[in-house]
Amino acid sequence: MTFSSRAGWAIHLLLRLVVGGVFVYSAWTKLREPWSLFAISVDAYHVLPQWGVLAVARTLPWAELALGLLLIVGFWRRVSTLAASALLALFFGLMVRASVHGETIDCGCFGPGEAISPWTLLRDGSLLAGSVFLAIKSFWRKKPMSPRAGGSESLIEAHVGDGRNLTA
Amino acid sequence: MKLPVFLLLALMPSVVFAEADRAKSFGNPGAPLTIELFSDFQCPACRALHMQQLPLLIRDYINPGKAYLVYKEFPLNMHKFSREAAAYACASARVGKYEQVADALFQNQPSWEESGKVFEIVASVLSPAEQKKVQALAKDPSILQEINSDVQEGQQERVNQTPTMIIVRGGKKYPIGGSLNYDLLRRFLDDLLK
Repeated sequence: MTFSSRAGWAIHLLLRLVVGGVFVYSAWTKLREPWSLFAISVDAYHVLPQWGVLAVARTLPWAELALGLLLIVGFWRRVSTLAASALLALFFGLMVRASVHGETIDCGCFGPGEAISPWTLLRDGSLLAGSVFLAIKSFWRKKPMSPRAGGSESLIEAHVGDGRNLTA
Repeated sequence: MKLPVFLLLALMPSVVFAEADRAKSFGNPGAPLTIELFSDFQCPACRALHMQQLPLLIRDYINPGKAYLVYKEFPLNMHKFSREAAAYACASARVGKYEQVADALFQNQPSWEESGKVFEIVASVLSPAEQKKVQALAKDPSILQEINSDVQEGQQERVNQTPTMIIVRGGKKYPIGGSLNYDLLRRFLDDLLK
């Protein structure tokens, strides 16, 4: 493993732990309180009917917990990174929308009492960028080159062969 | 002799504010829930809360003794007459008319917001003797101090919008801001009371 690939692997792991950790923490802040408190935060965005608000408030914290754990453990990377990116993109979009409309509502990210602000937008935007990076990396992996298809060994051989031809 | 006098003077502001708080509080002080309502008389969302959700909250939780309601002033700088209205409301609390004055101010918000004649609305629910007293009290430094104290308390509680309710249950505080769906608030309060 070269230095650059080792550094890349470390960054990838760190990013996965950070995004996964944030998801787990976010879920914990919601699950430790009555779910109806989170329902009030969801309702403040004014995008769902009441039955939708109740459904989201009951299920989203568990989904966040599951996603966070999957990201930390590293199982089902494609599914988990894609789902995390989709969820973060949705949250970020809703926060930008509320901000553009001048609504001073709670972000609802980590329990009540945190209004949407440039800081929360920056934080969620950074998380989204990190998650999208992880998703892209999980789908875009270098294929190992087989010797028959011109793998590393055949490349060396070809190079040596060329050298012989040149010196001859 | 000096120490008791000093202690008395040191405790005076807290005694005055405790009295003021009682005049702006409703329900059973020993209720399991306390609801601190930070609001601004010139804010439209506060008006909506006061006229639509608050009567329901009083009916379902304050009157049955499940919650204790404490009004707190949080006049926003963006509203020209908010401080003046808050001063009249706090002064009215000293003559036992906070609720009536708050009702009148919220109900007539569009009119005094445009005309700037705040006292006309306040006077409409007071007797002539009370009017004189309230007008004098509204300029009293202790009233201005009371408003500033409420604002500072709100800032410490990270109140970032009006109205904001801080619901207190067993020492734990839950801030809830903005316009509310009463059905969801009711679910939350019932969950806390379980």
